[in-house]
Amino acid sequence: MSRLPIALGAAAAACAFMGAPLAQAQQAQAEVPQLGALAPENLAKKRPKAAFDLTGTWFVDTKKASFKFGPAYPKFLPEAQKEYDAGVKATAEHRAYKDYIGQCYPAGMPMIMTRVWPIAMVQLPTVIYMVSGFENAFRAIYLDGRPHTDPDLVVRSFNGESIGHWEGDTLVVDTNAFTPEHHTIDVGIPISDQFHMVERLRLLDKGQSLEIAYTMTDPRMWEGEWKSLHYWRRVDDQDITEVECLPDLDQHLPATQSKLNVR
Amino acid sequence: MKSPALIAIAIGAALAAGQASAHHSYAMFDAAQNKQLAGTVQDFKWTNPHSYIEVLVTDDKGQTQKWGVECGSPAQLVRAGWRSSTLNPGDHVVVTVHPLRSGEFGGAFVSVQTPDGKVLKGS
Repeated sequence: MSRLPIALGAAAAACAFMGAPLAQAQQAQAEVPQLGALAPENLAKKRPKAAFDLTGTWFVDTKKASFKFGPAYPKFLPEAQKEYDAGVKATAEHRAYKDYIGQCYPAGMPMIMTRVWPIAMVQLPTVIYMVSGFENAFRAIYLDGRPHTDPDLVVRSFNGESIGHWEGDTLVVDTNAFTPEHHTIDVGIPISDQFHMVERLRLLDKGQSLEIAYTMTDPRMWEGEWKSLHYWRRVDDQDITEVECLPDLDQHLPATQSKLNVR
Repeated sequence: MKSPALIAIAIGAALAAGQASAHHSYAMFDAAQNKQLAGTVQDFKWTNPHSYIEVLVTDDKGQTQKWGVECGSPAQLVRAGWRSSTLNPGDHVVVTVHPLRSGEFGGAFVSVQTPDGKVLKGS
């Protein structure tokens, strides 16, 4: 028996006790809260069978595609073009350009996916959890039919909010609600709060290879769609471990302390 | 963030090791140059995402400088035959690095000759 009606009934009773009008209590009953992805009731709901199970440890396959997301790059708008040009110049001068990740900021999406560390993925009927070996960055891709959170309520983050659904043999993941500060792609290419991405995931090679086709838009930073294709391979002989980027560790690393950083 | 050559080196090492340490840019290291640092280990830290060695090196003028040498992750080092006890403060070593292009006293680890003459690489 669901515990939800009991909870809602208790909430309504509490409202009535506090003198709230009955209409408010009825409204509270009508607004059924989203069950957590790990709630037994949610896990047990009948759903179409998933096309594949990502559960496993994966490692970006740089033999098939770069860990970078360009080239090809889209046509950048002025702010992004300025940063891209500055990054190209710094790279030519053997300088690191706005290397926020080196300064312990989270890599964020999409860079965290290709950061050349293993990623643990656990797939349940309602959600896929991804934890990168790199700084243990966390993603949740909800599969339980929930919509994106109200933009007025969502807490923006480096990895955004991901909602997935199945289209045949493909998992389509829509991600938004990114925090744009200290969050770049490749070498210093900025994103705005309008950054949005769609990932199309397929399993290949009898489940040993994962393909993700990225389509990224940001009407403040570039025109049209930025597309990029990447691959991962299963690594059954690896686990992720705890990895922290610590300021006092960074103080001992010449790369992050060098004056060759353009901050 | 990374020069193409250094990206290739970093990724190649990562693939060989099965786990990389792409915590930051490598653009500032000169991968074409191997510099040997004969000195004394002041500190060796066995940690993620990077292990590091600090080596006291005395130059031709008798001045002692502390060099910072960053290695890959412990997982990479283990695959190359390291243990956390491989280096200890006071050890006399010869460390080979790709030095910083700026002339600062730092470099990316290439190999080390330990006190017993053994040579270990980074991946």
